[in-house]
Amino acid sequence: MGKQAATKVRAGAEGTGAVGKVFPEAPALRLVSSPKRQRILEGMLEAVGNAGYDAASVRTVLDNTGLYRQAFYDEFADKEACYLEALKYGVAKFKAIASAAAAPEGGWRAELRAGLGAVLDALDADPAIGRALIVEVHAAGPEALEIRSKAMKEITAFIDSARHASTGTETPPPIAAEGIVAGIHAVIHAKLAAGDPDGFRQLLPDFMYFAVLPYFGAEVADAEMKAARA
Amino acid sequence: MDPPTASSVEKTQAGTQSLPRAYLVRSERERLLEAMLRVAAAKGYEATTVQDVVEVAGVSEQAFEQMFGDKESCFLEAYEAVFDVLLAHMSSAFEAAAGRPWPERISAALGALVGLLSIEAGIARLSMVEVTAAGDDARARYRSALARFTPFLEEGRQYANQGEELPADTARFAIGGAASMIFDEIRAGRGPELTRILPDLVFAVLMPYLGPEAAEDEMRRVAREHAA
Repeated sequence: MGKQAATKVRAGAEGTGAVGKVFPEAPALRLVSSPKRQRILEGMLEAVGNAGYDAASVRTVLDNTGLYRQAFYDEFADKEACYLEALKYGVAKFKAIASAAAAPEGGWRAELRAGLGAVLDALDADPAIGRALIVEVHAAGPEALEIRSKAMKEITAFIDSARHASTGTETPPPIAAEGIVAGIHAVIHAKLAAGDPDGFRQLLPDFMYFAVLPYFGAEVADAEMKAARA
Repeated sequence: MDPPTASSVEKTQAGTQSLPRAYLVRSERERLLEAMLRVAAAKGYEATTVQDVVEVAGVSEQAFEQMFGDKESCFLEAYEAVFDVLLAHMSSAFEAAAGRPWPERISAALGALVGLLSIEAGIARLSMVEVTAAGDDARARYRSALARFTPFLEEGRQYANQGEELPADTARFAIGGAASMIFDEIRAGRGPELTRILPDLVFAVLMPYLGPEAAEDEMRRVAREHAA
């Protein structure tokens, strides 16, 4: 699933306005109670991703979704409440994208490679969503950062599970997982914030190197990096 | 008139470095920059007014306007100066450890960084946490400020396992990871005790270069040194 597939889905999303291009590769999961609510959440992520949190307004969301003002306020008290929900929704979507791509029977490395690869593809397909979730979260305040922290802790727990995987050859301290998640997050964040949205997928080999190194050593990490480049 | 460069700060500080010393009052401009940092650290950037700043600095509002024009320009210049001081502080710790193995020199530089940030917890919070909420311009400065830490790490490439070529993003990964760990600590209100995470930072920064075993050895050495 690369850009081509994404474009196809985009082209098929006529009639739903720009909202259809959000998460083109996401599996059809019921994450939100009503289709209208979901449209608003996606419209919010799109607005924040394109204009920035401060500049985005309820008006922009209405323009993005084609809904009336009242429809928004039936669901959410204000922009902030809506963004916080949209953030949770976006995190859940990314999680769904990663788990749909990763078959657990392949082992930790295969799962990571597939899951991370799918997330990077999703960023390539729609970088605005990445900005809404990863960059603009800072502008939205402490509650939003708390949601982000929780998501990063979950990813850290997954990475850390490599310490217990029987195939692992090294047993680094628990902080290793936190460092990996923080480092990968930082590289993605810098790329999104610099408005350099192309080629997230090409980061996969380096990310695999960094993630595999503490648990399997340099030789395996290097092989993993070269395999991901191919 | 220009903000101090890393090397000029180093020279004027003569060994006994701390943030207040770096802001030793030498001119109205410097007083205003320091006042901006103090006020913004205490009440937040948004709530800070030019009037607050000129009062604390004991400088006229007219002089402020002539020098900076507006609050944001003053803040951004003060912000650059914070990183000048942090880098100078790290550089001198790194240089003071010359002759010791590279991992130990990195630990010394990181130790200087967290030491200074923990003493100046208010300014640390302002420059590492609040600035990320202060708009695109400030965020861009934060990113380029982080990039200035890269030279400390370049030497680490020689230590890479088996002489394999390290990923191009290694320094960005290491610095970004460390910055993000510091960010989390400060945000959680543990800025004044930031030195407690030094061993963790040492591991996170060295691991991509040295691999887990050597990074853990250095992490344990630093933990022992700090316990002693």
